[in-house]
Amino acid sequence: MSLVAAIVFALILVCSVAGGPIAQAFLHHNGEQPFPYAVDWNQKPVGPMTRVYATPNPAVDRYDNLIAPPKGQRAKTLLVFGGDGPLGRDELIRVLDGGRASLEIAVGGMLIALLIGVPLGCVAGYFRGVWDAVVSRVTETIMAFPLMMFLVWASVRLDQYLTPISLSPALPRGIVADALLIGIFTSFYPARLIRAQLLPLRTAEFVEASQMVGASHWRILRRQLLPHLLPTLLVWGAIAVATNILLEVGLSFLGAGVQPQTPSWGSLLSTTWGTAFNPQTFNGQNFTPWQTIFPAVAILLAVVSLNQISEGMRRALEPWSQR
Amino acid sequence: MTRIFHYLVRRLTAGIFTMLVLIAVAFAIYWATPSQPALFVYQPPPHHFTDYQIQQANHFLGLDKPKLTQYVDYVWGLLHGSFGSNWDTASYAFKQHTTMQPLRPVLMQELGVTLSLLLGGALLVLLLSVPLGAFAGSRIGSLSDRTISLIALIGVCTHPMVIGLLLRSLVGGHLHWAPESGYCSFTPSPYGLCGGPVDWASHLALPWLTFALLFLALYTRMVRTSVSETLHEDYVRTARAKGAREFRVICRHVLPNASLRVMTMIGMEIGTTIGVCIFIETAYGLNGLAQAGLLAMVETQNLPTTLGVVTCVGLLVVVGGLLVDVLYAVVDPRAGNVTETRTKSLAGGVI
Repeated sequence: MSLVAAIVFALILVCSVAGGPIAQAFLHHNGEQPFPYAVDWNQKPVGPMTRVYATPNPAVDRYDNLIAPPKGQRAKTLLVFGGDGPLGRDELIRVLDGGRASLEIAVGGMLIALLIGVPLGCVAGYFRGVWDAVVSRVTETIMAFPLMMFLVWASVRLDQYLTPISLSPALPRGIVADALLIGIFTSFYPARLIRAQLLPLRTAEFVEASQMVGASHWRILRRQLLPHLLPTLLVWGAIAVATNILLEVGLSFLGAGVQPQTPSWGSLLSTTWGTAFNPQTFNGQNFTPWQTIFPAVAILLAVVSLNQISEGMRRALEPWSQR
Repeated sequence: MTRIFHYLVRRLTAGIFTMLVLIAVAFAIYWATPSQPALFVYQPPPHHFTDYQIQQANHFLGLDKPKLTQYVDYVWGLLHGSFGSNWDTASYAFKQHTTMQPLRPVLMQELGVTLSLLLGGALLVLLLSVPLGAFAGSRIGSLSDRTISLIALIGVCTHPMVIGLLLRSLVGGHLHWAPESGYCSFTPSPYGLCGGPVDWASHLALPWLTFALLFLALYTRMVRTSVSETLHEDYVRTARAKGAREFRVICRHVLPNASLRVMTMIGMEIGTTIGVCIFIETAYGLNGLAQAGLLAMVETQNLPTTLGVVTCVGLLVVVGGLLVDVLYAVVDPRAGNVTETRTKSLAGGVI
């Protein structure tokens, strides 16, 4: 089961990193290019596996009705997953590119959470005393806070400060900001985890032995205790990536997070369903199931496989733990 | 008994401290973000606010007092059961030279919506996950076990908003099995509007189902693990040897053991459920606490509503966690401090 999950996740990883460029090379168009012929008069995009005229400039008659382009420009292109909305862009390439954005946010958020949480947890669990009290109270308070609301508030109100921090051209706008926010607000979790792990370990005999030999705290933490924490961190990391993917989707649904022009799985879903402040009511006539199904299945596959991977790792690395 | 008492006192002080910090953080957020509170007082808003108008509005809303005074006043009001005044009535009150309506009735109504969603959903989760988990746990590794686990996993790995909107549009919109959206109060309405327990339950059926699908995986898995472990215990063999039927063995001897773990899980998931409520309330158009808090915090910047929602949510988490821990200590006196070793085994639940 875990092996299958690992293969699935590896596939998703490859698809989201290399899938976009490969699909672009085969289909001869990219995810930004709008196809006016992929949208009907009701603004409804065409369905999967449709061939549409590839010309970017629509040919219209004098009443502004869309007509077939002139003879020379009648080359067609294939929209494998159909169009993505009123603009008629390629849903396949957007899902693939969106996977890249989503995974970047998720993994980045996890790394930032580790970067903040591990030192905090180490300080609280190893040195105890005042540090422990402070860290514990802070994490408890954060856990009692409606975190999602806070995240939305932060990403709406702090957007103007955070968005400029982007490593463009490597990462599109908004991704670093999202990863930072998610990372900061979930960092209490590894901190708690590590603190709980260190509590019994700090009085263990091998730590006492190193102290007696005269090792510094830093050396004890690095050489003696960190190897004990690695399995927990690995298991947590896989789950955190899965959770962060869902968090990103939630943020996009609530109208915060990545802007709709940058494809991510969340923003792709929210183009069909609208956001919390601007919901799109369900309309049977205009409903396009493929716009919901493809991103949702991608999210589902990624999250399920990550869960299974973490389950497998837990079983391999921590055979003594129960669940 | 004294140990439990000491523990209780410690937890209570920690809870009060947490609440005070929470309220302070909510205040800090409000002060840190630029806002125009005069918009609440002058409706319809003029093109341009003069300094005098802004001053008047701040005075009317009580924002011109020192910040510490505002904080202390708010906490003092809370201790007397007051959540401050409803800023949505500020414009009318300002014109009529009266005071604003209290916020408490509005907040209590929203709390009612969220609580009925939470409690009904939790009940449905338990009703579904205990039989499913017991069934899967008694035949681990079989096809039915795997199917149950997989379905539960799919539920937790899909975003609640996606489940909610799909259920709403398919079951509510296409099949008309349940109302699509909206909320009806539990008490019957006098004007022939929708109200009463039947309408209440039918309007909340889909939200409850969404909620249950999300949390099914966690609890099913937990019951399953616990049942499969307990089945090898000596007392289960004794019960079987005495001739008890399998159903009775599971119900009377095996499942009570699982209840401890389920209780721990409920205690640590209370905070999570509030976050999930935002999505479920949004998907089904319920005017609940989470929805109101989101609007007040991000869109309108309504200070009393923000504070009220944060306070209510904080109280829910603190009091709920406390209740669960006390129950745990009563049910299982062997257990020490369980909160330290809590780990979360599944993604999903969206924090």
